Formats: sequence, C-alpha cells, structure tokens
Amino acid sequence: MTGATQAAAARRAPRRTARLFVLLALLALAAGCAALVAGRALPASGVWEVLRGGGDPTSRHIVLNLRLPRALVALVAGASLGLAGTVLQSALRNPLAGPEVTGVTPGAVLGAVAATGLGFAGWHSPAAVVVAAGLGGFAGAGLLWLLAGRERGDPAQTAVYGVLVSAVLSGLTAVVLLVAPGELGSVVQWLVGSTEGRVWPHWRLLWPWAAVWAAATYALAAPLTLLRCGDEQAAAAGVHTGRARIAALVCAVALTAGAVSVVGALGFVGLLVPHLAFALLGADLRTVLPGAALLGAVVVCGADAGAQGLSQGLAHALDSDRLSVPVGAVTTCAGAVLLLIVARRRVDDR
Amino acid sequence: MSRPRWSPRPASAVPPAVRRPLAAAGLLLAVALCALCLGTPSLSPAELPGALGGSGLTSTVVTELRLPRLVLALVAGACLGAAGLVLQEALRNPLAVPEMLGVSSGAALGVAAPLVLALSLPAAVEPLLALGGAAFGGVLTLLAAGFGRSPSAVLLTGAAVAAALQAALLVLMVLADQLDLQLIYRYLLGSLSARTWDDVTGLGPWLAVSVPALVLCAPVLSVLRLGDDDARAVGVRVRRARLAALGLAVLLIAPVVAVCGPVAWVGFLAPHLARRLRPGSGAAGWLPWSAVCGALVVAGADLPARLALAPVETPVGAWTALLGVPAGVVLLRRGDRGPARPGRGVGNRVHSATGPAVRDGESGAVPARNREAAYRAPAAPRAGVPGEAVRE
Repeated sequence: MTGATQAAAARRAPRRTARLFVLLALLALAAGCAALVAGRALPASGVWEVLRGGGDPTSRHIVLNLRLPRALVALVAGASLGLAGTVLQSALRNPLAGPEVTGVTPGAVLGAVAATGLGFAGWHSPAAVVVAAGLGGFAGAGLLWLLAGRERGDPAQTAVYGVLVSAVLSGLTAVVLLVAPGELGSVVQWLVGSTEGRVWPHWRLLWPWAAVWAAATYALAAPLTLLRCGDEQAAAAGVHTGRARIAALVCAVALTAGAVSVVGALGFVGLLVPHLAFALLGADLRTVLPGAALLGAVVVCGADAGAQGLSQGLAHALDSDRLSVPVGAVTTCAGAVLLLIVARRRVDDR
Repeated sequence: MSRPRWSPRPASAVPPAVRRPLAAAGLLLAVALCALCLGTPSLSPAELPGALGGSGLTSTVVTELRLPRLVLALVAGACLGAAGLVLQEALRNPLAVPEMLGVSSGAALGVAAPLVLALSLPAAVEPLLALGGAAFGGVLTLLAAGFGRSPSAVLLTGAAVAAALQAALLVLMVLADQLDLQLIYRYLLGSLSARTWDDVTGLGPWLAVSVPALVLCAPVLSVLRLGDDDARAVGVRVRRARLAALGLAVLLIAPVVAVCGPVAWVGFLAPHLARRLRPGSGAAGWLPWSAVCGALVVAGADLPARLALAPVETPVGAWTALLGVPAGVVLLRRGDRGPARPGRGVGNRVHSATGPAVRDGESGAVPARNREAAYRAPAAPRAGVPGEAVRE
C-alpha cells in the first residue's frame, strides 16, 4: 500500500466506522424483530397488533411475556459472548483463545450443572446458577493459568492446554450428570445452548450483570489495545501488564459465566465473533469492543430467529409437533461452514 | 573405572529392550486379573481357573460378562491407540485425534437417530447404522478435504464435519426424552457395560482386514512424517499414501466406536505414551506400543468405571478423560523439559536433528507448531496477528 492511499484510508476511516456501527445497530434491531416475529403460535400481523396496543390476552401474553424476553436475552447473551471472546483474544494475545478453549465455558457449565445436580440451585433460583457458573468459570480459567505456567506466551501451547482442561472439566460434568441423572433432562440445555423458555426473570438477572461487566470491560479498552501490541510495548507505555491482564480475564470470565448460566454453551460464538469484529473494525479495542458486542448480539439473535424458523419449517415438513431446533445447533452449524470455507481457502493458497 | 556420568540409572542385568515388554506384559496381566476377579462376586486369583472352566453362577459371570468385556476393552483400546498414531503421523500433527475425523460424531448420530425418532428397525440393522454413520462421517471428511491434499486441510475439514454432525446430534438431544437422553449420553461418553461375546466377534472381520493393512502401512508412515517434499523425493506418492493412512484410521475407529462409543482421549494419549517409551524408534516401532498403551489405558479405565460407584456403572470415557488427561499433561510437560525432547518430534524437527542447528531447530519448531495447531483458529484472519495492531 502506498503512502497516499494510506492517508486517504486514514481520512475515510472514522466515517466508515460510524457507518459500520449504524449498520450493525440496524442489523441487531432487525435480528430482534425477526426473533419477535418468528415462532409458530402467532403470525407477524398478530405481533404488530399487540405492539400497537391491541390483541387478545393470549397473543399479548405470547408477545410480551414469552417472545420479547427471549429476544432480549438472546441479544444480551450474544453481546456478552462476543465481548468475552474479544477480551480473551486480546489479553492472551492468542487468536485461538475463545471462551470454549480456555476452560471458561466448560467450567461454567460444570458449575451450573453441579449446583443444579447437588440441589443448591435450580430454575427457581437462577441467581444461584449464575454464581455457580461464575465460580466454575473462574476455576476453569485458573486451572489453565496454573497449567500453562511459563509457557503462557506460546499461543499454540496454551490452546493445547485449554483443550485438555476443557476435556477434564467435561469429564467431571459427565460424572456429575451420571451421579444425579434425574437432572439430565433439565440440564441438557446448558450443554446444547438454547433460548427456549427464557422469561423476564432471566432477563432481569442477565442485563444488570452484563451491563456492569461490559462497562468494566470498556474501561479496560485502552490498556487492552496496548497489550495486543506486546508486553514490552505496553509496559513502555505505562501499563501494568500483569494487573491489566488479570482485570481483563476477570471481566471475560464474568461475562461468559453470565451468558452461559442463562443460555448455555453456545458453540463457536465466542471464538468467531472477535475475528469478524477485528476484520471489520481494525485493531483499536475502543471501537472493536462495542462492535464485537453488536456483532455477537446479531449473530445469536439472528441464529435464534433462524432456529425458530427452521424448526417451524421442519415441523411442518415432517408433521411432528415436538421438533425444535436449539440455537446452539445453528451457531455450531454456522461455525462448521466457516471452518470449511477457511479450509478451502488454505488449500487454494498452496 | 567408574560409570559414565550421563548414565541415567544403574545398569541392571536386564536391558531395557527386554525390560519394557516384560513390564508391559506384567501390567496387562495385572489389569486382566483385576478385571476378572474384582466385582460381585469377588474371586481370589486362585479360584479363577476353576471359574473359567467350571459351571455355575460364578463361572457364568466370569466367562459371559467379565471376559468379553475385558477382551473388548483390550481390542478397542488397541484399535484406538493404533489409529491415533496413524493419524498423528500421517497428518504430522501431535493434536490429531480420532474425534477430529468426524467418525465418532457420525457413529453417534447413527445410534441416536433411530432411538430418538422412534423408528422401528430390525435388530440386525442397528449396529450397522452406527457403522454406517461412522463411515459416512469419515468419508465425508475425506471427500471435503480433497482426499488428503494437505494435512492442515484434512484437520480443519475434519473439525468442520465433526461440528456439523454435532449440531445435528444436539437437535436430537433436545428432542429426546429422559430415558433416550441417558442412553445417548452414556453412549457418547463411551461405555463398555453389558457388552457380550457377540459384540466382540462382530469386530473380528474388521480386524482381519485392518491389521494386515496396518502392518503394510507402517513403513510408509515413517516416511510421511519427514514432510511432503522429502517423502516425494524418497519415492512415495504422498497423497495416495496419506489417503490410505486416513482410510485405515477410519477402518480402525469405525467398528470400535460403533460398539463402545467414542472413548475419549485414548487415541491422543496412547501415541504420546508410546513415543515416551520408545524415544529412538520410528513410526513402525511406535505402532505396537501405541496399541498396547491404548489397550492398557482402556482396560485400566474400565476398572474404576465398573467398580468406583458400584452398583452404578460409570462410562469408561469419563475415566479416560479424568485420569488420562492429567497423565497426558504430566507427560507433555516432562517431554518439554527433557533435554533432547525425544519422541515428541513431530516431523519439523527431523531436519535439524544434528549439530549446532539443534538449538535453532528448537526455537524454529514453535512457529511451525503454531501453523499446525492453527486449525483451532478457524477464522484466524490477519486480525489476530499482533503485528497488525502495531501497524494500525
């Protein structure tokens, strides 16, 4: 790239960023609307009727007490996961570090499952589930931190240890589930990732948690940007690297734990959304962080709407009423497609 | 004259070439004795021959329940261990595991689908479905990866296929009711409970095909790990050889997974154990050791699976993860600290194994490993590279 085009690009950058943000916000809104309209009991016209203040009690209940909280939960959970992934990848300077491969998500699932299985928490006490998931997430991340030891700088090695930690934690989850098998049915949605049946209590629990930690994360944006450049540069610029990194990790774990405790382990969101955000918005975390949050919200909420539409279509085609596609399946599928594209491109490069 | 200082341990009368097989055989014997004697009813080793030959309740328990289970554990472990080594050598990646080929997910799908959708099938077809699913997953991966064009493409594609099949499985798991879910979950973790001689004999024909193929394949594996260019220079048709190795791995894994479910981490652990045990030799030397280690791991993990929470059976896969992975971590770390890093060479290091270049080779191996492990960084586009941040 020549100097002139670079300068032109620099002049154009802020406007492009602003346009991208507007676009992303519109997309998030559209995904929310789609999630509101998708569903089998009520057509779109009925939803519009309710939103204008009309409608019969049943449709009012469906829209206001079932669909609206579900869409909001999907948006906030997606935003949390996107943020957490971005923070993890920046703080560990590791493009492979999503919440799934750093032991955070499996730990949170283990915490939630163990608390439910041992009777400390349940659907009637969602706050306890969040706390348990948070503790589990911290335990998973701590285990990786201890294990990686002096080799923290090597991304591939950290990824290997992350996979191993995740394996041990999911083995423990399996043992807990088999000791308390009565809970398997209600617990499987944590393993899968689903927004089915999320109502206002979940929303009331999720958003203050997510808002607080998102604000904390945004406060860390500047030091994180420096951390991405390398420890020496960051230290030279006056950042306490160790302290900043630990603060960032705490934020990431807390965000992941909140999302996992409400919607379960959604595959690939925390790993892929940051890559998309960095590719779209550059490397300054002050713009990338909100972008990643919006992107995550778009992805999860859109996947939710897609899953509902898909299950509706499938139920129609197969003539079976109980068929429902969980969001986790859609995000995993999307991740698989992206992986395939990457694999193709790598082959072409050679 | 005193012993040279570098000698690691006092020289014993038995050379290591004899000691190690003896130790492995002793361990196998101990595990087998435990598997046959412990449980309800518990036997003493002295009573065992009588129970094996005689009649009555005790001998039925031993010959019809414990013995087939032990044999199945040994065979399954050996197959998974050998398949893991074949994969790791053919793809030149220490992280290549059987789960990454889509075989396990395909088999799980084949087991779960008729169960959940309540399809009524004749009993003879059901094991074939798991097998068909496993073969489908493996072939799909090989097809999508362009028949083994490059190792990293195979791994990435395998991860993608496994994820897609996993998504289908998730849908089925959400649909399933409580009992089906328990069955699926247990199968997914790998379980050896209630397997009979029928299951063992069902593996026979597959072994009859795959074991001779394995013996034929072993020398080529040692060449493949040198890297594509070198292997080509030696006169190996690389793509065809890699395709054959991958197909062989599918052939080894599919029937085992169809019978016992995807027993986790055996295919990862056994090759690493084998390399630690026989640092000097090549793929051909590691192959039998990997099979033995796999058999030991599975048969050993089946003991706590059967006994730890008796009378409740726990899946063997949970124990291989719980016990095997920490053991693997210890091995990996010790391997990293070892002065010469014997056996952990993953092909990249072969070129620089001599002279002063060793040090450079060590540090140079890291980016190479990064590149190989980058299949976990699906979209790892330029954004993830720290240098990018500096430029901005």
